[in-house]
Amino acid sequence: MELSPENPLMAEPQIETAHAEEFVEQLRCVTDTLPSRINIDAQSVEQGLAKLVLTLIEFIRRLLEKQAVRRMEGGDLSPEQIEELGLALMKLEAKLQELKTQFGLTDDDLNLDLGPIGRLI
Amino acid sequence: MSSSFDQMIVTEEWESTDLSLLETLDHVLNRGLVIAGEITIAVADIDLIFVGLNVLVSSVETAHEVLRKRQTE
Amino acid sequence: MKLYAYCLVEDLDAFDPTTRGISGAAVRSLQIDDLAVLVSDFNADTVAVTKENALDHAAVVRSVLDRTAPLPFRFGTLVTGQQLRSYISARKPALQTRFEHVRGCVEMSVKIIREISTDNETPRDDITSGTSFLEEKRLALLGSEQKAAEATEISTWLHEQVNGLIRDEQATVRSSEKLVLAAAHLVERDKIPQYKERLAAARKNRPELHFLFSGPWPPYSFANIELEFKTQFGVS
Repeated sequence: MELSPENPLMAEPQIETAHAEEFVEQLRCVTDTLPSRINIDAQSVEQGLAKLVLTLIEFIRRLLEKQAVRRMEGGDLSPEQIEELGLALMKLEAKLQELKTQFGLTDDDLNLDLGPIGRLI
Repeated sequence: MSSSFDQMIVTEEWESTDLSLLETLDHVLNRGLVIAGEITIAVADIDLIFVGLNVLVSSVETAHEVLRKRQTE
Repeated sequence: MKLYAYCLVEDLDAFDPTTRGISGAAVRSLQIDDLAVLVSDFNADTVAVTKENALDHAAVVRSVLDRTAPLPFRFGTLVTGQQLRSYISARKPALQTRFEHVRGCVEMSVKIIREISTDNETPRDDITSGTSFLEEKRLALLGSEQKAAEATEISTWLHEQVNGLIRDEQATVRSSEKLVLAAAHLVERDKIPQYKERLAAARKNRPELHFLFSGPWPPYSFANIELEFKTQFGVS
């Protein structure tokens, strides 16, 4: 099809769905993940950095949990080892929760979009 | 990482239930050519590319630079 | 004085000089090598993410779509002329490849919502032993693996539906969310009617899924040239 000013194929983007409200609800996270107004005082900068650091730690923590479950399923851990591993991870989860509270961050705050990998959580 | 592109993105509080606006935002905010580039962070054996992190980090960076400038004025 | 950059175009004639951009500023085309950048003057250091600015950005990029496929910049791209020049000359070959890839095409979007159960997601308060902690995690992991399998199936299914009618696909799969799939398809202009028909029929075969179709868009999802990535995970 020839492209020319006399033959404008392109209309404005049309949207077609039978579930507008549902999609609005889901797409609003686009705006929710934008950084909010930047206050250039030390506390906010600190919080931004804390968010970064805690997200990385949270990511690693989840990987560790998955690894632990895999090993447990694999049957090469004794019951005592499973118990110890579980307790350690339980404490790690609690500690991280403490840190999140200290910095006033919620799970949503740490749910960064990792691009092709998707959301963290 | 040094950000030589001094841009901050600031949002205002606003509500929108307009689906076509949200679709438009999804296209213009999340996609397109990115001049500032990406950050590669290696954690153990894992290379991760945080494309979305770009905005957050450059915002924090820029705030730092402003603070530093103020202290030297 | 900074420039707000909207998009790259290969075809200079495609630009209508009466276009208005962010804050009503006049949009002009800046020629760099044999490419052109659509820019407008911008006299602040920050770009507010507002409805007006987003729509203005989209409108400028959209304004050339009738005649050519642009490479849109992400919203908020503030640069100097010099930075643009460096960027373009450093990445010329990659940009040429991108233009070849999107030439003659537009972007169509498909988003899919599916219901998911949220069992196993709230942690119980009564867990005191390490073993039951891990057991809960194991169940949760099973649940998320199943959701991941479903998500992959949906993504594969969609791709099969449009295979042959699209030049490229960019899909984001989020297995733990209701919005399980957000796909962008690069479609040649003359294939659009067929593409739409194919999807209309396909949608009837999956009544349990909720669909959103939108387009045509300029090729936002196929513009970025630094999309190579390597991911290696010990666990998936």
